[in-house]
Amino acid sequence: MNTNLFIMCIEDESEVLEAILRDLEMFEDYFRIEAAQSVDEAKEVLKVLINDGLKPALFICDHKMPGTTGVDYLVELSREEATSKAARMLLTGQAGQQDTIKAVNQAGLHYYLPKPWKPAELQRIVTELLTDFVSKNEDNLMAYMAVLDAEKLSEAMRNRNTYTDM
Amino acid sequence: MNTTKTAGLLLGLAGFMLPLLITLPGLSFAGHIALGIFLMAAFFWMLEPIPIHGTSLLVIFLGVLLLSGQGPLYKDASAPLINPVSAEQGYTIPATALSASGTVWVKDSNQWSEIQVTLVEDQSGILTVEGDISPSAQIAVDVSHRSVNFVPRRFNDYIGTLANPIIILFLGGFMLAQGAVKYNFDKNLTRYLLKPFGTRPGAILVGLMMVTAVLSAFMSNTATTAMMMTVILPLIAQMGAADRFKTALALSIPIAANIGGIATPIGTPPNAIVIAALQKQDIAISFTEWMALTLPLVILVLAVAWFLLMKLFPPQITEIKSGADVSFNKSGKALTFYGIFLLTVLLWITESVHGISSSIVALLPIAGLALTEALEVKDIRQLPWEVLWLVAGGLALGLYMDHTGLATYLVSSISWASFGGFAVIAMFAVVAVVMSNFLSNTVTATLLMPLAVSIGILQNSGSLDIIELALVIGVGTSMAMVLPISTPPNAIAVSTGLVKTPDMAKIGVVIGFAGIMLMLAYALVYWPLLLN
Repeated sequence: MNTNLFIMCIEDESEVLEAILRDLEMFEDYFRIEAAQSVDEAKEVLKVLINDGLKPALFICDHKMPGTTGVDYLVELSREEATSKAARMLLTGQAGQQDTIKAVNQAGLHYYLPKPWKPAELQRIVTELLTDFVSKNEDNLMAYMAVLDAEKLSEAMRNRNTYTDM
Repeated sequence: MNTTKTAGLLLGLAGFMLPLLITLPGLSFAGHIALGIFLMAAFFWMLEPIPIHGTSLLVIFLGVLLLSGQGPLYKDASAPLINPVSAEQGYTIPATALSASGTVWVKDSNQWSEIQVTLVEDQSGILTVEGDISPSAQIAVDVSHRSVNFVPRRFNDYIGTLANPIIILFLGGFMLAQGAVKYNFDKNLTRYLLKPFGTRPGAILVGLMMVTAVLSAFMSNTATTAMMMTVILPLIAQMGAADRFKTALALSIPIAANIGGIATPIGTPPNAIVIAALQKQDIAISFTEWMALTLPLVILVLAVAWFLLMKLFPPQITEIKSGADVSFNKSGKALTFYGIFLLTVLLWITESVHGISSSIVALLPIAGLALTEALEVKDIRQLPWEVLWLVAGGLALGLYMDHTGLATYLVSSISWASFGGFAVIAMFAVVAVVMSNFLSNTVTATLLMPLAVSIGILQNSGSLDIIELALVIGVGTSMAMVLPISTPPNAIAVSTGLVKTPDMAKIGVVIGFAGIMLMLAYALVYWPLLLN
């Protein structure tokens, strides 16, 4: 892996978490994929990764979990400097209207995907979110062309003058 | 920091120190310093422990510091001189004035020359020598002094490379390229120009390669490649999984972008190195002349590449729809930009008609786009300034390799005349293509050019044309496209996953080989027609 980005998946039910991880396998060579079964566990893992110099690119979060809820955690993430740029996605079947409104207005939610999901759909959305994140925040866009949306990344290279004749 | 970078850093520093620890007879002290900087820059540029534009700025900085007349080293330095003291037979000089090879250094009207003398008498440190010393000249008392055989230049000469006419020409090109991206001119022009090529795969490939080459002749090869990727990816999506023609399309873009860069002086930075090196020898190459020299070669190499791509990756698909609409931006500022763009390009390619230098014409987009705010401050901040610095550093290095006598010193140990002019040109063509497959094209041209120009001057006979020699180096660097690391356009194409490195290498080797052969054929047959 020649990049230092990671995807964090937070989901309390282990079968569901495994399903998410299985669907995200195609990104494995380019992004480190981390899993946590509660917000507290996610926070600990996050601390270690950030200390190691890794950067979060995407949080995929369930809502109803023991302890802190997904929406509350996403609000927190959007306010912290180290995580505010990462894409935030809610993958849940149980968020009520109030929670959803909060996620959109306060957590700057990038995507709401209701359960159950189709693998291809999850992959398409993750590709889109990661492409946007990488286009805005990364310098070496070439590293992601094979896995993400190459056309959009080319467009970003062109607009940002990312590479030059040397 | 990885192993390569660490090695680069250590080798660079060792390279810098080496000439200060040993003495090369016949090379001035300043020449030793220049050699140290040259070796360090070469290692830094090749192994990149620091960014390559950083090395260029270091080259300028060290030149000012260690070689200019205003730097700490030469600020107050002047070699102790004496007027010749006539003896009964010849002149008397102190022992320190005689070099190990039996010469003395004399300065006459600010020019240094080395004069062979014969020792007549040695009286406890006072020597009497005979030689062809002019009475108006002064003799250096101490041959090992750092100012002997070196007249320092003003530091303005070194920092002036940052505003060399060729840099201004490139700045003009960058302003136009920035505007093209901002107003989507490049993309719309591409779609417009592709329309007449229809839907047949072979014809589309011709169209893509031609448009890419034309754009990259005026914009950076890399920016052109990135833009063209957004054009070809939707085309590739129409093809079946097993259709190898995908590879042909994805490979055609970097090939055409690399080759297209050869076609104009502003196409790619190595061209700047060629033009600036010739300018220093008072040889002016106009925009029009450059195009006349290189365009036929570009078209031929592109034809070879097209043929190869069709042969190796024959299409299964029979019809490719381009579909995308052409919608030129028609806002006032966009129209201003189009006007300035067209006028500039027109004035550039007709330079030989009106005779106004392309660097002066370049001020038209620079001033014009800034004052009309067709390019705003935020756009100007986005220009690839580091490319200009890279080239300027190369020019500064060439400058002081030249006037410390280092360039001549390095090449004079080999008697190039015995090879014949064509052999020298052929050798540099091969070295340029091979080197630049592994190194940055600009760096390759920068490292080779001072040596080549010195050989050209040393062997100033009819058999070796200095323009042809410089051209094969500059053009040769753009013919290198074997590996993903050879050029940024190659890297982009491989990154998409549509091109495998072995396929790229296969075609790259053929193009490199054909490129060398065609260049040499041009050097023998076509270029002399234009240059004489």
